[in-house]
Amino acid sequence: MATHRRASVRLVASFLAAGLASTALAACSASDGDGGTQEAEVTAEGVDDGTELTLWTRAPLEQQANLLVEAYNASHENQVELTVVPNDDYVAKVGAAAGSDSLPDLFAADIVYVPNWVQQGLFADVTDAVAELDQADQINKGHLEGGTLDGRQHVLPFVLDVSVMFYNKDLYEQAGLDPEQGPTTLAEFSDQAKAVDELGGDVSGTYFGGNCGGCLVFTWFPQVWAGGEDVMNAEGTESLLAGDTAQEVYGVWQDLVQSGAVGEGSKEETGATWTGPFLEGEVGVMPFPATMLATADEALGEVGVAPIPGPDGGASTFVGGDGLGISKDSENADQAWNFMSWLMSEEAQVEVLAKNGDVVSRADLVENEYSTKDPRVLAVNEIAAQGRTPLAINFQQAFNAPGSPWVTMVRNEVFGEGGSVETDNEEITAVLAQ
Amino acid sequence: MPANLSVRPPVRPAGRTRPALAAAARRRALRGWGYAAPTALLVIGLFVLPVLLVGQMSVSDWPLLSGNQGINAPQNYVDAVGHRYFWDSVVFTVKYTVIATVLLIGLGLGFALLVQESSRWTAVLRTSILVPSALGLASASLLFYALYSPQVGPLSPLLRSLGLADGPVTFLGTPDSALWSTVFLVVWRFAGFYMLLLMVGLQGIPHEVLEAARMDGANRWQTFVSVTLPLLRPSLALCTVLCVTGSLLAFDQFYILTKGGPDNSTLTVVQLIYNVAFQGQNDLGVAAALSIVVLVVLVVVNVAQLRAMRTGQED
Amino acid sequence: MTMTAPAPTPARPRLRQVRAPRARLAGIALRTPYWVLTGALAIVFIFPLVWAGVASVAPQPGSSQVDGWGFGNYVTLMEYQAGLPRYLLNSTLVSGLTVLFTLTASVLGGYAFSRFRFPGRDVLFLLTLAILMVPYATLLIPLYVMLNAVGLQNTLVGLSLVLTVFQLPFATFMMRISFDAVPRELDEAALVDGCSSFRALRTVLLPAVKPGVITVGLFAFLAAWNDFVAPLILISDSDKIPLPLAVANLRAQVMGIVDYGATEAGVVVMALPCVVLFLLLQRHYVRGFMSGALKG
Repeated sequence: MATHRRASVRLVASFLAAGLASTALAACSASDGDGGTQEAEVTAEGVDDGTELTLWTRAPLEQQANLLVEAYNASHENQVELTVVPNDDYVAKVGAAAGSDSLPDLFAADIVYVPNWVQQGLFADVTDAVAELDQADQINKGHLEGGTLDGRQHVLPFVLDVSVMFYNKDLYEQAGLDPEQGPTTLAEFSDQAKAVDELGGDVSGTYFGGNCGGCLVFTWFPQVWAGGEDVMNAEGTESLLAGDTAQEVYGVWQDLVQSGAVGEGSKEETGATWTGPFLEGEVGVMPFPATMLATADEALGEVGVAPIPGPDGGASTFVGGDGLGISKDSENADQAWNFMSWLMSEEAQVEVLAKNGDVVSRADLVENEYSTKDPRVLAVNEIAAQGRTPLAINFQQAFNAPGSPWVTMVRNEVFGEGGSVETDNEEITAVLAQ
Repeated sequence: MPANLSVRPPVRPAGRTRPALAAAARRRALRGWGYAAPTALLVIGLFVLPVLLVGQMSVSDWPLLSGNQGINAPQNYVDAVGHRYFWDSVVFTVKYTVIATVLLIGLGLGFALLVQESSRWTAVLRTSILVPSALGLASASLLFYALYSPQVGPLSPLLRSLGLADGPVTFLGTPDSALWSTVFLVVWRFAGFYMLLLMVGLQGIPHEVLEAARMDGANRWQTFVSVTLPLLRPSLALCTVLCVTGSLLAFDQFYILTKGGPDNSTLTVVQLIYNVAFQGQNDLGVAAALSIVVLVVLVVVNVAQLRAMRTGQED
Repeated sequence: MTMTAPAPTPARPRLRQVRAPRARLAGIALRTPYWVLTGALAIVFIFPLVWAGVASVAPQPGSSQVDGWGFGNYVTLMEYQAGLPRYLLNSTLVSGLTVLFTLTASVLGGYAFSRFRFPGRDVLFLLTLAILMVPYATLLIPLYVMLNAVGLQNTLVGLSLVLTVFQLPFATFMMRISFDAVPRELDEAALVDGCSSFRALRTVLLPAVKPGVITVGLFAFLAAWNDFVAPLILISDSDKIPLPLAVANLRAQVMGIVDYGATEAGVVVMALPCVVLFLLLQRHYVRGFMSGALKG
């Protein structure tokens, strides 16, 4: 009996010890992994020796990720195994793995989260390898900057997504609008939305993710930028969203909500279905992710595309999408770099991404075999090259999180009484400045 | 309580001496441990140790992405209680718990009374009410997400064609509708389970007692109030404990249906924990502190419920 | 825990054959509201499930079944990533292992709690019940750490162990009251006959608590089959994930669109085995609940 009891005590003790040791380990690696200390042997191509690599991405990028991985696996010795994680739970998944040093070799991250994740040391330093790339200076600046900490680079653009105005040409025609002429100012946008809304039935003028911080950031920030103002200070520690242009933007949307031109469900739209109504042909015009061009064409015939304007004209876009980096835990950094390096090649950018109708991440490839076929695609690519990516360490908490102060502010201004824009803006700043 | 738990000693074979008896008792205890060992291993390895780790997190500076950064007590607890949605979520969780518990137990009891007669129709009815219990809460929530959806949901057009609503009905758009839509889902999913538990309780009431009450001239209602309910007390208590605990920990249904919205009006405490840990703040320390608070509250609530129940029984 | 039976009152399932003669005399007129009410009730409970089944084969924009009725959504589900058969296999493995682990732990544990007196017994029992009181979401990271420590991360066995732990409060409680309801004389007789306690459990007690075993097994299966959060955190290989996680990925494949068709087909595929099992075993688990002394 005595031995029995002692054995079980020992088992429990070793269990406990193992658990604590692993957490201690996690703590160490995280603190000295800050900024990434891993130095890969610096070559432009990395190593292609038949290693199994793991890559994580979130579900909305699955299509692009699948195509890229398939093309890479077909032409390389290394084989990438893709794991897809539901969008809303991606951070939880990465967080659990990061704490136990079990991140995959490569993983993508929403570009607005990248500055934070780089600061927490999740990505390995790839500065020297990036410098070896032939077209290093052509890679999308916004994404590169997002992954830069203290002058060291950690991520490359994986899939770019930019916001543009989409409009339904059929509905425009029915409403007596020119189907070849999208809005060039927010006032025109509002008028056109209202005109389409007049059609009645299931059709509404416009639609937006009224309860979705990420959608609002992606579609409304460009309206402020196009008006010549900023949304945050350069350090990403202070919100400027109570500015005049920003307030004009809220005014336009509030007017649209009050006049009933906004589709049913906008107010409670948490982002899960925010592009659905347009694709079903029930919405006239709305800011939209450009990656959906092919999907939208398929559903609606040719859709109209225009840059997102400010209150009095201008144009801008939010360069979103995901950045890709090598994880701090990867033991195959050179092989992983081989994938990253290939990702920047013309083969990947043009023959995989552009062919699929996606935006390329290299400025010198904007005009390519596929984009020149369709002036809209070319236009989207050109907009992307001049777009912006807002960077802040606490971006997720301030803007994207459910119930974030940004969502509160928009809802107060657009659905509510309004008038609290200054205090709501201070709330955002408070989170950003933490 | 210990009296209830105690086990009658095994029959002792006659003619053993005292030390021999003691040795036999020890052997039995050892055997008891042997049988309980798998449970003990699981409980210790995958419950007690993780809870201890949560405790350690709650007093440490522990960002999700970079792990333990050293002691941070009691700041996490201060931050947890001072979180801008803490009290809102507490109030909402309690409100939801009261509504869900009252409805589930009330309806569960009502259904149990309705189906206790044995006929073919009540069997069908009982089965219909029970079937949703086969679904996982997450699947059920997904199903209702589609049912409530303004795009494909059939309920809004149905209500309109029945003339019960004159415009599009939003099920998740306002704080009240979001709450009641979620409550409806939970009642749909769980009423059968509570009906089953209470049905068992009802079956356990001796028939003679009810007959006696009837003989004494009590009508149905009087019999129900003064005989059935008191005798059903243990079953009702079990249901209450399960329902209160489950509702205070509500997560899946709100996570899938409302994400805490609109305007954070349906944010439960566990959702707040999830948000703090994984959706923005990414602070496991504060999330762990919140969890410990919840755990302590639940233990207190459950002990109180069991006490109340016991004194009730002794009366 | 006063919810346990104070004394093993013999179970008394009883048919209510005596129907109040009043009800018969009242006639159809008085029964009509009853039929309407109960009929409506049955419809309310059945409707969502039927709707999911119908909607999954109905034409729907933005799904894989755009024109006309058909099984497009199921085809999509079939071909998604590693394929439906793989996910069904994973889910079956996880659920099977969870049922196995849960039954092993709870039958032995219930026997120990019901028939043996040993130091720490009440503490262990209360600890087991306390599992109900911990927010699932926060335990996941520590559980991940624990599984890593014993090399069970990213395995279906590890996942099943975690799911088992969350089944233990119900399972242990259920098995304990089931054993409590069995007259002690039964196993004591076997012990006097020279059976080992394990033999007594296997040959004498187990048949007596069969309804309880079926109930516990069924609920463990349902929980494991449907769980989404645990595999999300604990499983990383895309060919090891169980069905609920695959459906979650599939339904939000494109940004800003929920593929309702895939969601409905997924719900149907997830629900079908559960509903079938639930109906097949109904007689048993109703008896399982009865045989335990819940009424005490």
